[in-house]
Amino acid sequence: MTKLQKKKLTDKLVILVWIIGLIVIWEIGASIVETTKRSPQNVLPHLSQIVESVFSSKPVSNKQTAWQIVTSNATITLLRAGTGFLIGTLIGFILALAMNFFKLVEKAVFPYLMMIQMIPILGMAPIVLAITQDIDKSRIVISAILTFYPVATNMLDGLKSVEKEKYDLMHSLAASNWHIYTKLLLPTSIPYIFSGLKIAAPMAITASILVDTLQGGAGLGTMLSQSLKHAMSIYVFWQIVFFSAFIGILSYKLMSFAEKMFSPHEKAKGSR
Amino acid sequence: MKNSKSTIIAPVTLGLIGVFMWQSQMLHRILGADTFTMPLPARIFGIITENIAKILFNMQATVMVAIGGLILGSVLGYLLAILASNFPKWGVGGLSVISSFNAIPIIAIAPILNNLTKDFSSDPNTRSMLAKILVVMITCTVSMSVNAYRGFIELKPFSEDLMRSLAANRMTVFFKLKVPNSVPYIFTALRVSVPASIISAMVSEYFAEYIIGVGRQIRENIVLAQYATAWAYITAAITIGIIMYVILIIIEGICMKGRR
Repeated sequence: MTKLQKKKLTDKLVILVWIIGLIVIWEIGASIVETTKRSPQNVLPHLSQIVESVFSSKPVSNKQTAWQIVTSNATITLLRAGTGFLIGTLIGFILALAMNFFKLVEKAVFPYLMMIQMIPILGMAPIVLAITQDIDKSRIVISAILTFYPVATNMLDGLKSVEKEKYDLMHSLAASNWHIYTKLLLPTSIPYIFSGLKIAAPMAITASILVDTLQGGAGLGTMLSQSLKHAMSIYVFWQIVFFSAFIGILSYKLMSFAEKMFSPHEKAKGSR
Repeated sequence: MKNSKSTIIAPVTLGLIGVFMWQSQMLHRILGADTFTMPLPARIFGIITENIAKILFNMQATVMVAIGGLILGSVLGYLLAILASNFPKWGVGGLSVISSFNAIPIIAIAPILNNLTKDFSSDPNTRSMLAKILVVMITCTVSMSVNAYRGFIELKPFSEDLMRSLAANRMTVFFKLKVPNSVPYIFTALRVSVPASIISAMVSEYFAEYIIGVGRQIRENIVLAQYATAWAYITAAITIGIIMYVILIIIEGICMKGRR
């Protein structure tokens, strides 16, 4: 075993120990709650109880088991979040290109991009719902808004980070504008775009779940609030908590993975 | 000179066009909205001046939660970073586990903490305040601990060796080298967590027991179909966001003087 492999292994072990530590803390908390509270499953159930509820075949509502409810509603929520995420990425991409190409656009738009970062967009979710009058549309709109500005600002940073020497080289080779963009500017900005996407992906999911809680119908957030109001088994709530945490982390990992796919030169650097 | 002029004129022109399109209802036609759900700026402004006392009261509640959680979370994050940099073997793993918390939606955390803090106080306002502050704290801890840790580790080359060759003990190295080195990283973290603190304060208000705060008021007023009042609270939320960010930039400017 080489030194590097050994280090990787210990790193993994350390993380494993931490996760076990967190589970132990949770279980201790759950044991305390179990003896002191009247309905411990509302406050902090044992992890085993949550896992058990995932596999239980007992229907909790509409002849569906708790896990069926979570997965079927998750598809609805995540599809909308994904659509909004893609639209937002596209808008951010185009906006960054436009800002780089036309100085006037950058001057006019950039202060507002900065301002959007300071504004609590999620708080505006209810008004978007009121304007669009449609829960699906507002999920997409909110996710798109939350996605486009990290993508736009990060990509603009990337486009600006190209050194003057590289431009000079391209010009000395009589490269056209199209070639400068496709061969130089876009490849340079890829890591920057992905750092924007890594911020945006968990946010888009949070937003989509939040929009769900505003109105009845279907979706993870709707089930979450119904379960909290005890319209169905409280374990639906706990399953959604863990499910959304998992999806949030997964979306981040997915972006890191996509980044590696899109930037082979970075991968080569990492393996060295 | 001409260049700096257009830096101001261009965004202001765009803003004026936006307000004009809103007031003249051109924006409504594009979005397919009516003046009921999207009231004209003049009307929103009128409502703000009428209800200024109530709006300020709710703004105060939100700001208290946001700042309380921000301070608690940042201090906790900084302490975690100190721990992690002293025990790097275990610390790095711990930090990477903690940083995955960042991807957990706030919505999943808020109801749990609401239930956990039910017995804390008999006063619903106090206990939902605690729950909300804890939610904000969790969102702010992560970015501070990760960034401050980088501040402790990414030192200037050989600076730590210099300190050692001067026989400086660990305390001196920490206070004279690592803490000052971490200051810019603290502000990197705060630039993320100040807006995040307001967002999580507003979202945790949705789930809180006690009905107070700007975020909750936006929602309550929309449920009652009082869209103009909701817009007034949205304006309030935006104001909080911008003011807190500007204060941060000013403090950063003072603290970072002579560093750049």
